[in-house]
Amino acid sequence: MRNRIELASTHATEFIDITGRIQAEIDRAGLRDGRVHLQSLHTTLGIAINENEPLLLGDFKSLLERLAPQGAGYDHDDFTRRFEIETDEPVNGHAHCRQLLLSAFATLLVEEGRLVLGRWQSVFAVELDGPRRRQVAVQVEGEFARRRESAEALVELELARQLMVDPEAVATPMRRLVEAGGKRIRPKLVQLTAGIGPRNDALRAAELAAAVELLHNATLIHDDYVDESTHRRGRPTVAAAEGPERAIAVGDYYFAKATRLIAEMGNPGVTSAVAEALEAICAAQIDDVALRGAYPGDRESYLRVVRGKTASLFAAACASGALLSDAAPEVVGALRRFGDLVGTAFQMADDMVDFSPSSGKPVGLDVRQKVLSLPLIYAAEDRMVGPEVRRLLAGALGDAEIGRVTELVTESDALPRVRREAEALVEEAVRELETVELDGLRPTLVDIARSAVDRVS
Amino acid sequence: MSAVQAPERELDRLESLWADGLSDAYHVYVDSVGRFADDVQPKLALAAALIEIGVRLQGLGGRAAPATTLLMGDLCLARGSRLLADHAPLAVQVAFARAIESVSSAAAAEQPAPVTRLLLQASLGAR
Repeated sequence: MRNRIELASTHATEFIDITGRIQAEIDRAGLRDGRVHLQSLHTTLGIAINENEPLLLGDFKSLLERLAPQGAGYDHDDFTRRFEIETDEPVNGHAHCRQLLLSAFATLLVEEGRLVLGRWQSVFAVELDGPRRRQVAVQVEGEFARRRESAEALVELELARQLMVDPEAVATPMRRLVEAGGKRIRPKLVQLTAGIGPRNDALRAAELAAAVELLHNATLIHDDYVDESTHRRGRPTVAAAEGPERAIAVGDYYFAKATRLIAEMGNPGVTSAVAEALEAICAAQIDDVALRGAYPGDRESYLRVVRGKTASLFAAACASGALLSDAAPEVVGALRRFGDLVGTAFQMADDMVDFSPSSGKPVGLDVRQKVLSLPLIYAAEDRMVGPEVRRLLAGALGDAEIGRVTELVTESDALPRVRREAEALVEEAVRELETVELDGLRPTLVDIARSAVDRVS
Repeated sequence: MSAVQAPERELDRLESLWADGLSDAYHVYVDSVGRFADDVQPKLALAAALIEIGVRLQGLGGRAAPATTLLMGDLCLARGSRLLADHAPLAVQVAFARAIESVSSAAAAEQPAPVTRLLLQASLGAR
């Protein structure tokens, strides 16, 4: 976010304390943690950080006068030797030279919405050739608390608005799922990346984000039928509550509606990016089911499924937001790779949740459904517990066997190994962001990436 | 017109469906895509056929398909949708989506659904 601080100096040399003005810019932008950049837009206006004590400011003025006295025979003041002189050109060689002794810019840190300054520090615009009207350019970057909150509210409003106009037979089950919560990571990624390019429109971003969330939920409704899941987000699944026929219809309706909403945005790149992701999800779901019970399994098969089932929509969310904002192709590419890596790490962390009693989810559900998960693959490879894990997985899995497999996975190095791998993917994702200009959104994207694997302690 | 060949690479994973109704549906839709460029015609005809076969596989409006068949139907819908996204004019994309919305909302409400094929043929004519 950017702005200009307007100043009117009243003396030839003047230290104007702009600390409060900068803090006001931070407040206005809603910056929570990040940086504020200041730049003088004049050759005789400096920026300085020092103590606002009147006698000391007098000392500074004296120092500047001694170092670059006014009228000391500056070539710049000899108008007979210069071209294209304005009629009101000031005699100010001294002011230019004094500015050279100061700085024309500064970057300050912001934490918890406040400028990070020492007890005696103030920020000054230093007038060297006043009195004049002046401008200091300001840009703030980092995590914007209010912007994020309001952006999230926009998505919720858009979801509610879309569900309001749908037939009750489909809207009611979807509303139950949407209102049950969820992490909303995909819409967050859409909204953040939609702020990167020059065409930054919060309402369009919220529309796309809501459509992507509806699409994600549509896939979950079919998944729950396929997995015979009875609950999701603490509520009965559509298939369990209203039967598989209704679940199929609701999933289809929102698949179609979401793709229509996205198409109607009129950005072919966005439409294609999401359509490709949806196809990848469906193909991977087939593989996922086909591989169930194919223990011990292998990492390559697992990664192929995860990249299609989970990472593809993360990647599409990142890319489509950037495409919507007309971001440069290299930015879109970097964000797509970022989403792919974070989505893969996210699914690895999700696999670990299956073995975490503190997660709030039933332990061992993946084992019960014979899903090929990375902790199981690594536990089956483990020298100590591997033989028993493989033997148990090869047989019928009752409660006792599932409990024992869970114990063995937890005892082995499988979970730390998966965590290390997920964290490495996140760091690889973060490195992708370092290659492109992201208009101050990098810290927030990095936070989201790291939170993807921080769900299991 | 029926000489239009379906793009084989778009049948990846769905080859078994070709002889099981997809080919017939494809040839029906070929007659509805004449207004499009030659290279686009087979893609749009296949998209329509995939969507028709997809909802049929899922059992939409009837008895729910078993899980693995549902997933095959989902892939048909997704691939059809991607073909439309890549090759169809916006009006056709929107018309297809509205057709699926219409059929699925009727199914959810346990009401008689419009005939899918007629809806999709009309969608190909959307301007």
